[in-house]
Amino acid sequence: MFDPVGCLAEFSPEPFLEIAARLSGKKQTSKSGSRAYWHLLNLMETSGYKTIESLELKAVDSATIYDDVAPALFELKAMGIKRFIVSSLSETAVTRFLARCAPVGFDGIWNRDNAGGIKALPLARALQGASLRPNRTMFLTDTAEGLKVAESVGVNAVLMMNDPDESRRLATRNPAGGIVSLHELADFIRIVRAERGARQA
Amino acid sequence: MKKISIYRPKTVDEAVQILSSHGTEAGVYAGGTDLLIRLKNRLTQAPSYLVDIKTIDNLRYIKEDAQGRVQIGAATKLSEIADSELLKQRYPMLVQAIHMISSPELRNASTIGGDLLQEVWCQYLRGGYSCWRNGGHLCYGAIGDNSYYHSAMGGRLCYAVYPGDAAVALIPFDASVKLATSAGTKELTVEQLVPGDLLVDGRIQSHVVRFNEILTEVILPQPKPNLRASFEKLRPRGVWDFAMASLALSLQVRDNAIEDSRVVFGGIAGKPVREHAVENFLRGKTLSADLGDRAVAIALANAAPLKYNSTKIDMAKGLLASGLVRLNGNN
Repeated sequence: MFDPVGCLAEFSPEPFLEIAARLSGKKQTSKSGSRAYWHLLNLMETSGYKTIESLELKAVDSATIYDDVAPALFELKAMGIKRFIVSSLSETAVTRFLARCAPVGFDGIWNRDNAGGIKALPLARALQGASLRPNRTMFLTDTAEGLKVAESVGVNAVLMMNDPDESRRLATRNPAGGIVSLHELADFIRIVRAERGARQA
Repeated sequence: MKKISIYRPKTVDEAVQILSSHGTEAGVYAGGTDLLIRLKNRLTQAPSYLVDIKTIDNLRYIKEDAQGRVQIGAATKLSEIADSELLKQRYPMLVQAIHMISSPELRNASTIGGDLLQEVWCQYLRGGYSCWRNGGHLCYGAIGDNSYYHSAMGGRLCYAVYPGDAAVALIPFDASVKLATSAGTKELTVEQLVPGDLLVDGRIQSHVVRFNEILTEVILPQPKPNLRASFEKLRPRGVWDFAMASLALSLQVRDNAIEDSRVVFGGIAGKPVREHAVENFLRGKTLSADLGDRAVAIALANAAPLKYNSTKIDMAKGLLASGLVRLNGNN
């Protein structure tokens, strides 16, 4: 399961911080797009999902999609791995983001509009909708909040280790694993499969 | 330390059979300077069954064959290579490199096969962290102190550097190795032997040798005519330490013109890095004082340093410049 923010692309923090400032009346600073995004989600949770769509779209338009997204996702597809978008962004924002990606195709796309909520809800809908077993599912995240959300629905949280210092702190929270780049995900799954096979043997 | 059992086979075939019967639980034991430390470090991948190949008497030799190639048995001690008159005469750069491996005491125990196939020396792995090579699913080197033991050229789950010096020094001679397998003998170049981290038998390792295969021999072809070669290694101390960066450089020179070259960096990536861009650049050039600067400008273009190790790339480039100066003067 992939959230575009911090997982498939580098997002600028400014648009999320600006929405947050307008919602709360308080200005915050952050160098991380992901942390700004989750800060906004915390505010949205308490304000009835209020947001500013134009700024969300600005965030999507200015995001830098990681080079290895398309090859990594195609490789996973070839391995028979199901891939889902689970995001707290709006349907319009997610659609616009995916239009910027190579046509990799996903097995399901969940956003806050079709999931009916944010944070854990898109993950829960994806699990439910495709009858996925949480213990056989991975959610990639680069924030503490992302780890909590994964834990709350019982899926394996995998750290995207975008920022070494933040990742070092998050590594102490017992994620199921961590990768530096999406191109490592296929090998990650191969190793887990080999370990499972060895245990069963 | 976990309980271990030791087998002492008399032949390579017998050793291969024992390895086959225990799967990845068994490992080859020769010098022990890596394997026994892995056991003492209590690493999960350290074997429970040791197959001691020191008792096999035809794996320790340095000899010349009918084609003028030099064959080195895999259980030959590094100190025996360092003292070999044949190797000093034919491949002085290799001998120079072997002299720079660890310390005299360890060279008396370590074997050439063990040096080629040694496990990485990342401080997190050896410190018992639950990393990719030790039963976990995260590289602590990628997010921790990666100034010494980690790759500045990208990685594949594990970011530890390949630590061996012998492979780096063997590649410029187009050396190859023989592996004994249950299906017979397999021959690979040294580059093919250590291609960087890959999954072998469900484990991450730097080499392609499977659990039931044994490296038996290193083969050095006759050196090419008019060959000049040098090996340099930068390390924190003058002995013992692994390379922060190293370079094995060879040039085939006729009338001061470079006909062919090999440029192989060590200590900066998960494998010895053969720098084809620089090799192509050098081919046809005349040895000159400014050649180093021009070669450095195109070297290691795909470097991807981690937070604390970009200095490795600077060191490697410095070695390239100084190596070319040295070989320019060596005529």
